[in-house]
Amino acid sequence: MRKLVFLIMLMAGIFRLVGCWNRRELDQLAIVSGIAIDQAEEKDKIKVTAQIIKPGDIQITGESGGGGGGGGKPYLNVTNTGDTFFETLMRFTHFVDRRLYLPHNEVLIFGDKMARSGVHKCMDFFLRDAETRLTTWVVVAKGEAGEVLDAKAELEKIPAMNLSMLIDAYVATSEVIASNVNMFGQRLMSKTTAPIASLVEVEKTGEEKKARLVGTAVFRKDKLVGYLTLTETRGLLWVLNKVRSGIIVVQEPDGKGEVSLEILRAKCELTPGLKNDGTPYIMVKIKEEANLGEERGSANLMSMEAWTILEKHQAGVIRHEIESALAKARQLKADIFGFGEEIYKKYPAVWKKLEPHWDEIFPELEVKIAVEADLRRTGLTTRPAVPEAG
Amino acid sequence: MLKKILQALHLRKILKKGQRKEQPVEQDQQRLSRDLERNLALFRAILGKNADFVLREFCIGTHEKIRAALFYFEGLVYREFINEYVLMPLMYESQHFSIQDLKRGNSISYLQEQFVSIGGTQKILRIEEALNNCLYGQAILLVDGFAEALALNTKGWANRGVEEPKTEALVRGPREGFTETLGLNISLLRRKIHHPDFVIEEMQIGEKTRTKVCIAYLNGVVNPEVVEEVRKRLGRIKTDAILESGYLEQFIEDAPFSIFPTVANSERPDTVAAKMLEGRVSIITDGTPMVLSVPMLFASSFQSPEDYYSRPYYASMIRWIRYLCFFITISAPAVYVALTTFHQELIPTPLLMTMAAAREGTPFPALIEVLLMSVVFEILREAGVRLPRPIGSAISIVGALVIGQSAVSAGLIGAPMVIVVAITAIASFVIPAQTDAVTILRFILIIAAGFMGAYGIFIVLLGLLIHLASLRSFGVPYFAPFAPVNLPALKDTMLRAPLWAQITRPKMLSKNRQRTKADLLPRPERKQP
Repeated sequence: MRKLVFLIMLMAGIFRLVGCWNRRELDQLAIVSGIAIDQAEEKDKIKVTAQIIKPGDIQITGESGGGGGGGGKPYLNVTNTGDTFFETLMRFTHFVDRRLYLPHNEVLIFGDKMARSGVHKCMDFFLRDAETRLTTWVVVAKGEAGEVLDAKAELEKIPAMNLSMLIDAYVATSEVIASNVNMFGQRLMSKTTAPIASLVEVEKTGEEKKARLVGTAVFRKDKLVGYLTLTETRGLLWVLNKVRSGIIVVQEPDGKGEVSLEILRAKCELTPGLKNDGTPYIMVKIKEEANLGEERGSANLMSMEAWTILEKHQAGVIRHEIESALAKARQLKADIFGFGEEIYKKYPAVWKKLEPHWDEIFPELEVKIAVEADLRRTGLTTRPAVPEAG
Repeated sequence: MLKKILQALHLRKILKKGQRKEQPVEQDQQRLSRDLERNLALFRAILGKNADFVLREFCIGTHEKIRAALFYFEGLVYREFINEYVLMPLMYESQHFSIQDLKRGNSISYLQEQFVSIGGTQKILRIEEALNNCLYGQAILLVDGFAEALALNTKGWANRGVEEPKTEALVRGPREGFTETLGLNISLLRRKIHHPDFVIEEMQIGEKTRTKVCIAYLNGVVNPEVVEEVRKRLGRIKTDAILESGYLEQFIEDAPFSIFPTVANSERPDTVAAKMLEGRVSIITDGTPMVLSVPMLFASSFQSPEDYYSRPYYASMIRWIRYLCFFITISAPAVYVALTTFHQELIPTPLLMTMAAAREGTPFPALIEVLLMSVVFEILREAGVRLPRPIGSAISIVGALVIGQSAVSAGLIGAPMVIVVAITAIASFVIPAQTDAVTILRFILIIAAGFMGAYGIFIVLLGLLIHLASLRSFGVPYFAPFAPVNLPALKDTMLRAPLWAQITRPKMLSKNRQRTKADLLPRPERKQP
C-alpha cells in the first residue's frame, strides 16, 4: 500500500515537473513574421514594429489575387515604443488581443539610425530568449526599418516572408550576404571579427513600396559603419567560402562583347603566415569552376587559346572582387573576413601580442590572393548564334 | 499495482464461490444395464421430453429375433445414413444373422464387425457416455441382453460451406476460410499439412455447452512444454458455456489486464497452418471459424499471409508501412494536439499559417475537437459493423458528408482535424490484429498530449514500451524478437527475407531449428571443371 502511494506521488511529480505547461491554442497566438527596430523620436527609446500574420485573411487574398492597399492585407503591422525590447514587446498586449509569438519570426530588421547607435542592446534578447530562433535573418534597412515591413510583396503574401525568401535566394548570384542571428551574434561577441548583415532598401514609386537587397551592412563592434556594394559583397563571400552559384561577366578574347560564366563551385582556403620580421600575412587561395553560360559576341571560343584567355579573365574578375571588398574593409577598419580568428587559430602566442592593436594592424595586413579558375563545359552548343564565318 | 489489488479481490470472491459450488454435480456414472427395457426407460426419462428425440425400437434377424433400439436427435443426424446403413442391414438384410454368434462373443462387437456399415463406431459402456455422444449427433444402438451400446457416427447437419474469409482478405493466396463446423475446419487443416506428425487432440469444455475443442500442433516442431501448458490451461476451465473461441481466450491468456491480446486468432487455414509450422499450438473451437494460436508475438500482428506469397521486396516495404501505420494510428491525433497547443514552433511557417487559418473561429480547443472527432469515428465504425447490410451505404453518406464536410463548413471543426482523423482511421485498418488495443491507446495518447504536449506523448510511449517488453505469451516474450533481440528472427519481422534465406524457425518458438535446406538460392548450376 505504501508502495502504491509512493508510486502515485512519483507519477504526480512527473505531471507537475513539466517546463512547457503553457497550453495555448493556435487561435490565441499572434504569429510574428518580422520585427523591425528603429530609433524612437525620444532619446534612448526604441520603436518596435512587429508584423503579425492574419491567418484568416490569407486564403481570401489568395482568391482575389493579391490584397494590396485596403483592409484585405493578410498581415498587420503594429508599432510600439519603449525602453527595452522585451518590455516593448510585452506591452503590445495593451492593444493586440493576442500574445506575440516569436518562433516563426523570419527577419529582424534594424533601421540604419538605430544600427549606427549600436544594436547590442536589442540583440541580447534574440540570443537569450527561448522563443526566438537563431536562424532569423538579420537585416539592416537604409532608412526606416518599419517601412520594409510595409513594402509590397508580389509572390509571397507577407512582406517579411518575402524578404526572407529574397535572402534565401542569395545563392543565385552570391551577391548578398545571408546573416542570421547565430552568425551575427557570434561575430558580435568576437573581439575582432566584424558583424555583417544584409542590406535592404525600400524603393518608392509613387504609393508603391518595394524592398530590394542592395548589399551588405558592415558593423564595427555593434555599430554600423558602412556598406558594401553587391560586387564587394561577392568579394567577401569568396573569402567566406559562401559562393554557391552566380554569374561572372568577362570580356571576350577579341574584346568584342562579353561572356557570362556560371559559377559551378568554389572553394576558399585561408592560410595565415608569418613573415621573417614577425608580421603576419594571409594567403587566400580560391579554387573555382564555371561553365560557359552565354556569349554576346560572335567569336568562336572553341580553341585552346580562347579558352585559356577566358579562364585568365575569370580569375582576374574574382581577384578584383576580392580586392575591392578588401579595400572597403580596410577603409572601414572592420575585419569582416575573420582574418584575426584565422591567425589566432594558427599562432595563438603571436595573436596575444597582435590582439590589442588589431584595429591598426588589419588595414595594413598583407593579403596574398591566388585564384585558380577553371572553365568546364560550353552548354548545349559550341558555336555562337551567328552564321559561320567562311 | 492496481492490477494486483483487483486480482486479489477477484481471486477471493471467486475462491469463496468456488468452494460453495464445488459439490459433485456429476452425471450418472452408472453403467448400462443388460435389460433393454430398463435402459430405454432411463433414456426416455432423461431425453424423452424433447421434440426432436427419436427412439426407434426394432428386431434384428429374420428367424431368430432379438430386440434392439436406436435413438438419436433428429436435427443432428443424416436420416438417410441411419436408414440405409444402420436400419437396412439390421432389419432387412439380417438373413445371415445368428443369435449364437452374437451371444458367443458376449459382446456387441459382432454387430459392429458384420452388420453396421458405418465408418465411425464406438462401443460404449456408461450411460453418460451414451448421452454425450447422442447429444453430439451420434445414433446410439442398444441391443437386448448386452450391457453396452454402439455409438454410430451419423452426424450430419446443415452447415455453411467453405467461403472466402470475411475478415482477412488477400489478393494472392487461397480463398478458403474456416467455418463453424469443427470437423470441416480440421479437414481444412489436414489438407494443408499432410504429415503423420500433425496431431489433433480433442477435449470438451463447458459444463452446459460441452463444446468440442481441439488442440492441434506439429509434433517434433512444437515445444512440448507449450502443448502441456495449453492442455493445463484449457483443463482448468470450469464454466457453463464456450460459445466462441473468445470465451477460451479470456480463460487462458497470460495478461488478462493488458490491452494487448496475447492469443492470436485467424479464420484462414493457411495462416493457422503456417503458425503451426513455426512451432505454435492451435486451438480449434467447435461453432466458430476463429481459430486461436499460441504463443502470440507482437510482431505477428504486422504480418499477413500474403507477405509470404508475394515477392520479398514489396512484402518488406509493406511491413514497414504497417509499422508506420501503427504509429500513425496511435499517435497522429495526439501529435496534432501537442503541436497545435504546445509546440507551434515545430510546425513549418507556411503550414502553421494554413492550420491557424483553419482553426480561426472554431469554438473548441484542439483537444476537445480531436476527442470529439475520434469518438464520432468510433461511433461510425461501430454503426457500420452492426448495421444491416442494405442500410450500410447510408452510414457512409452520413459519415462522410454530414460529419466530415458539414462540420468544417459550419465552422465547428478545423479542416486539418478531419484529415488527421481520417488518416488515423484508415491506418487503424492496416493492423487488424491490434485494432482494439490501438483504439484505446489512441485515446490515452490524445489525453496525455492535451495535458502535457509532446512530453506526455513520450511518457505514454515509454510506458507502452515497458509494458510490451514485460508481456509474455505461453512462456515466450511478447515483444520478441525486438526485445529480447533475436537477430535471425528479425529477418522475418523488420524485413521479409526470401524463403530460401529463412533457413531456421524462430528460436523462441521452436527448438527444432532447421526448416529449409541452406543454400537454396535459385541460380544456374555451376559447371564442374
